Amino acid sequence: MAKTTDLKTNWGRLARCTFSATAWIALLAAPAFFAAEPATPSPEGIAFFEKKIRPVLAESCYKCHSQAAKDQGKLKGGLFLDTREGVLAGGDTGPSVVPGKPDASLLVKAVRWSSPDLEMPPKHKLPDPVIADFGKWVELGAPDPRSGPKGSAKREINLAQGREFRSFKPLARVAPPAVKNTAWARTPVDRFVLAKQEAAGVTPSAPVSRAKLARRAYFDLTGLPPSPEELDEFLKDQSSDAFAKLVDRLLASPRYGERWGRHWLDLVRYAESGGYEFDGYRNGAYHYRNWVIRALNDDMAYSDFIRWQLAGDKIAPGKYEGAAATGFLVAGPYPGQLTAKTEERIRYDQLDDMLSTIGSSMLGLTVECVRCHDHKYDPIPQTDYYALAAAFAKTVHGTQQLAPDPVVPKAEIEAHRTTLESLVVALRKYETNQLPDRLEKWSEKERVKKPAPAPRWQTLEVIEASGQQVEIETRPDGVVAFVARSKPDPKRPAPAAGKDDPDNLSYTVIAHTLQTNLAAVRLDALADKKLPKSGPGLADDGSFNLTEFSVTASPLKAGDKSASVKLKLTAGQARFAEKEMPIANAVDGKPATGWRAKDKPGVENGAVFVIAGGFAGFEGGTVLTFRADFRTDVIGRLRLALSTGPIPAPTNDAAGKPAEGSDIFAGGTDFQHARELRALLDGKLVEAHRSDAVRWFSRLDEPTKKVLNAVGDHARKVPQPKLTEVYTAVGGGRDVFLLRRGEVDSKEGKAAPGFIQVLATKEPGRWLTPPERDPRLALGDWLADAEGGAGHLLARVFVNRVWKHHFGRGIVATSNDFGAQGAAPTHPELLDHLAGEFIRGGWKLKPLHRLLMLTAAYQQGAEANAQNQQRDPDNKLLWQQPAQRLEAEAIRDALLSVGEKLDPKMYGPAENTVESPRRSVYLRVRRSELIPFLTLFDAPDATRSIGDRGATTLPSQALTLLNSPFVRDIAARLAKRALVKGATPEAAIDQVFQIAFSRPPTDAERAKFGGYFSRQKELLGAADPKLAAGAAEKALAATCLVALASSEFIYID
Amino acid sequence: MFNHHTPGELILPTRRKFLQQLGHGFGSVALASMLNEQTRAASTASAVNPLLARPPGFAPRAKAVIWLFMTGAPSHMDTFDYKPELQKRNGEVLPGNDPKTGFFKTSGKILKSPFGWNQHGQSGTWVSDILPNLARHVDDMTFIHSCFVKGNNHAPAAIELMCGTNIPGRPSAGAWITYGLGSENQNLPAFVVMHDRKPRGDDQIWSAGFLPKTYQALALDARRKETIDNLVRAKEETDEQQRAALELLRDVNSTHAQARPSQADLAARINSFELAYRMQTAAPEALDYQGESEATKKLYGLGNKTTETFGRQCLLARRLIERGVRYIQIFAGRGTSGDGSVDDVPWDGHDNIETNHRSCAAATDQPAAALLADLKARGLLDSTLVIWGGEFGRTSDSQGTRGRDHNPHAFTIWMAGGGTRGGGFHYGATDEFGYKAVENKVHANDLHATILHLMGLDHEKLTYRFNGRDFRLTDVGGHVLRDIIA
Repeated sequence: MAKTTDLKTNWGRLARCTFSATAWIALLAAPAFFAAEPATPSPEGIAFFEKKIRPVLAESCYKCHSQAAKDQGKLKGGLFLDTREGVLAGGDTGPSVVPGKPDASLLVKAVRWSSPDLEMPPKHKLPDPVIADFGKWVELGAPDPRSGPKGSAKREINLAQGREFRSFKPLARVAPPAVKNTAWARTPVDRFVLAKQEAAGVTPSAPVSRAKLARRAYFDLTGLPPSPEELDEFLKDQSSDAFAKLVDRLLASPRYGERWGRHWLDLVRYAESGGYEFDGYRNGAYHYRNWVIRALNDDMAYSDFIRWQLAGDKIAPGKYEGAAATGFLVAGPYPGQLTAKTEERIRYDQLDDMLSTIGSSMLGLTVECVRCHDHKYDPIPQTDYYALAAAFAKTVHGTQQLAPDPVVPKAEIEAHRTTLESLVVALRKYETNQLPDRLEKWSEKERVKKPAPAPRWQTLEVIEASGQQVEIETRPDGVVAFVARSKPDPKRPAPAAGKDDPDNLSYTVIAHTLQTNLAAVRLDALADKKLPKSGPGLADDGSFNLTEFSVTASPLKAGDKSASVKLKLTAGQARFAEKEMPIANAVDGKPATGWRAKDKPGVENGAVFVIAGGFAGFEGGTVLTFRADFRTDVIGRLRLALSTGPIPAPTNDAAGKPAEGSDIFAGGTDFQHARELRALLDGKLVEAHRSDAVRWFSRLDEPTKKVLNAVGDHARKVPQPKLTEVYTAVGGGRDVFLLRRGEVDSKEGKAAPGFIQVLATKEPGRWLTPPERDPRLALGDWLADAEGGAGHLLARVFVNRVWKHHFGRGIVATSNDFGAQGAAPTHPELLDHLAGEFIRGGWKLKPLHRLLMLTAAYQQGAEANAQNQQRDPDNKLLWQQPAQRLEAEAIRDALLSVGEKLDPKMYGPAENTVESPRRSVYLRVRRSELIPFLTLFDAPDATRSIGDRGATTLPSQALTLLNSPFVRDIAARLAKRALVKGATPEAAIDQVFQIAFSRPPTDAERAKFGGYFSRQKELLGAADPKLAAGAAEKALAATCLVALASSEFIYID
Repeated sequence: MFNHHTPGELILPTRRKFLQQLGHGFGSVALASMLNEQTRAASTASAVNPLLARPPGFAPRAKAVIWLFMTGAPSHMDTFDYKPELQKRNGEVLPGNDPKTGFFKTSGKILKSPFGWNQHGQSGTWVSDILPNLARHVDDMTFIHSCFVKGNNHAPAAIELMCGTNIPGRPSAGAWITYGLGSENQNLPAFVVMHDRKPRGDDQIWSAGFLPKTYQALALDARRKETIDNLVRAKEETDEQQRAALELLRDVNSTHAQARPSQADLAARINSFELAYRMQTAAPEALDYQGESEATKKLYGLGNKTTETFGRQCLLARRLIERGVRYIQIFAGRGTSGDGSVDDVPWDGHDNIETNHRSCAAATDQPAAALLADLKARGLLDSTLVIWGGEFGRTSDSQGTRGRDHNPHAFTIWMAGGGTRGGGFHYGATDEFGYKAVENKVHANDLHATILHLMGLDHEKLTYRFNGRDFRLTDVGGHVLRDIIA
């Protein structure tokens, strides 16, 4: 089999099933076989092997290179030296022996220790005579009597079998089972739960109290406690659907997206900095966080939620939302300093970060293992990994300037227009009242001056310029500059036949002149460092290809009905041109031919075109319309000039360059304004010339300039949508290759986009068609395709996550691992039922919450039950709802909330300080400087997808709750809040319980807390009698601190 | 000898009894549920406190590790890896020089060591004259001259040397060891990091990664006065007041826990407040070195501006291991000022190896030597593994005319005590120019395998399952360097 296997062609083969996928994978990964069967070994050869070679192999090599080593998991490099086949076939780096050629045999090289990367045995070099024996043995043709097949380094991957695994099977549609206790099971979900309990002799717990249920729902959906008023409102509602209404209310709260957005951010290793060396902060990274919150609040279908994150920039090109969503792809760590040595490896690390995050967060699969070898436990061959990676070949980290809100408010536009109008009125007044006098004074001075010899060329001021398929800008010095290529305007009427050539780009430039006897025009193509190779053209080599150039003259004076004249241009001189592409091509009327100079990058070019027979000009002024057409490669910086003669006859040398002494570019250049004004004042200032005159005069006269600029400056400041930097996936990157053992210097075939085969039962073209379709869009479709793609697993993994957050543990306990190493589902039918419901419901998340929260299972309490405890100690059968510890962010937010310090403001850039009163989801996530309060309570370190946070218990948490200024401040605030509501300290303590625990204290608690309060007050007074006055409030704050530090505050029943 | 298990002040006389009651009937809400997917066997006791000391897999040689991390990467050819060829062929083209070795650009020309060299000890080990104090201890050291890493910039290489691979997010060796062995002293953290200005790479270098935060490091910042967050009781609060608060807290938390008997973490939480209270006393006691004798202070270089910071850190390290802390990492901070060294990577002698290394050596040599002497005098060196080295080595050719660039292909680390062979034993070697490790190459994984081995842990068995994979500190590599073990 050819080594340069093209994965794409193999896709085709695979689909046609000409041989099994497994065989194909094995072949692809195996090194080239050597066809020649070794000649029958001589008895002497065999004897040599038995005496000199076999004992050494057994002693020094088999430990890592034999079937026995493989069985112990110690096989190295895929190499088996315990059979002849194994020796000849070799391992990951190719055949170990080329019979007859010791110097070409890796085995010999390895024992000789001739390359530092290949030294075997690794720790101790063999004695020199033994090394020599190996050379001799290979020279003899490597005689080897050992028979038997080469061991297989690979676990055989059988896709058909793989699809039988629980997570890769299509969703089963199982009817909810029958149960005995029909009264308890209020929803089909409950029947799945109860049936298992009944089978195991376990009984569900009684429902939790309504107050506790509400508290649970508030924390589950919003991450915040209910206020006493909110709780009261719910408790008063005695209707049967009161809880359903509460759930709906909470789902509609903007706090919901903040709470569940944070869960999602765990999965996608969200941070706002690059990690590694300097941990550069990414100013535009937070948009992704906001997008997630918004999408959840909007109840975006989960399938779309996935699609946007993978390819938002393709779904909505150039749009803020698209770029913000694809922040997902680039949220991972990425080194700030790169060198040639590390660049390529880091590129593959970057791809691996994207793939492993997609694998863990969306599919619950560990795909990063497959970077180096076929998956050890799941049916994912290495080729699948690189097929996935290929979808990201043209995806790298970057930023874009985009408008979150592309619509400019009408009022703003209106205000701008009003101001502009008043400025224009002022300008008109100036033109009428002051300009004539000033002009007159200037011209009086001019008339008495002795006229200086006029330069040959006058640079033309650009009155108007436009581009076809190019965006341009004009500059006061007469330069027309290329800004960007633009797509054809869809609103523009279809161009005439032959003109809709997408490669035809053009500039149209309008200038005015009042002068007469026009002799020649000149076009300068300027160099600029911002252009490729510093220009002057946009081609990669810095050249341009001007295919046609024309000038049309028409009368300037209003009412002049004279016909426009297309001036007849002849080739004058070019600064540079290729022999086959002289400037004559630009005035030959043939769009196929053009003027180009390829070998002059970074040097100004130009051409002079002589107007055949000259042009007299129109009386009252001429409008000159220049048009320059290009074949793709436009001039980057273009300037036009005019000469009224006389023009020497141009003579060019063979290369088209000006011959010695006939350089008609020479002769000096100035701007046209002074001569235009003189021409103008030879006549009389008429209305038609007024605006030209103002402009030209403004170059000479400061007051005129001021007035004109005031208008111009304001006119340019048309209100624009505000742009912001978005850190997102951008184009770039290179082809992706399959890397043997994941090493960048072991490239095999170029990888073509594809999918995880075990999750693709249909032809991959289904998602990739048409072939030029963006592979990231295809990836999203495959992921969400529950029929032939990965949709069933996508749904299983996600509903399991939602379940986990509501029930404390997932149906699959390893929420990021649905592979063979992961936990088996406790309720597989229920998992499939939920995933099916989820898909049938349009992948909507909010109905899923509702479905789960309205079950009897969710609404259980946690009862001590010895029998249940004994039969199901881990509560796998959900006979109770144990208290769950709040996550770090919810602890901080709950503290802010009870202290009435929480600022509910949404979105915006990250908050730089932990002192910020905003919700924790808005705090800065900088990889090297995580927020201690949050990490203390198990917030992730944002380098990998985290499916299941721990909930550790540490003395440092206790220290923070007891001693930190933050918590003590909250306690003081809570005390004040409670005192406002309860006039007496006793009543205030009741309030503290209501606020912190959503319940009143029991009598015993009242007594304990009351006693503590009195004791604190006494101790305070004793410490400092002067403080006795404020002691009540302080003692209450101390009481509040105990409440906040207590388990009940952060463990939600 | 060891004063572990300091009972501390039992503020709650009924604590043990209470915990016993709680423990009874907890069943097996296993450590696994609390510690996610931990594979080690669980017990109710460790469910209540996951930091309880656990026995190692086999008899350990070392009880504690102190890693003196020479941040910024010292040049091995200017400290412990003597290369006469460099001295002879100064200015000549370095054979085999590879422009991809360094991080910036090197000249390709050999740069001799600007320092004088002498042989020391019974072993006759060559040491450059910038480390006169450490030179007196060469016979206690084991030198590994053939270290290499893959990362060639500070943060990735430091992450590699601490966490096993140069991609951030894996737990560091200190976290792994704490996970494997728990803590000998419940009143102090098991894993302590000390730094001056934070080294480049910051918290990523000593991360607990995906391990539970229980195993994360306590970082002591030499620039701060109160070095442990929230350790000190609020100013306005008296001890009596706090004790009253803790009593009420224990009462309400016990009631809460008893109503939820299947949740062991609630009992752990009650325990954590008591530990916190005792830490308030125990940690300041451990960190307060003022009671040390004047001779000791002088030995470590306290009172001398140059050696003050590193000296204090080394002295604290000794105090901490005496109190049962298992794993200490000191990141050497700035040298004497005005030598061009950068605070977060002081040994990074790109411009001038002579002035840079003199200054960094001056700041660390005496304190490091004092630590060895002090540990030995107290009989602690046998059970304490001291490691010295940077994140990589430096190039044998010059950067500019007097500096040296990063060199991931070769560097020297020495170890002392903790069951290492000592006697000035030299393991592995670089080529004649010190440019590349050529004999018995040692990767970070091998160092880690060896450190774990000395601590009584098998690096292939100390695993933690995360996102479907059993991770280990040594990733997919690692060999125990048996030759360097006594």
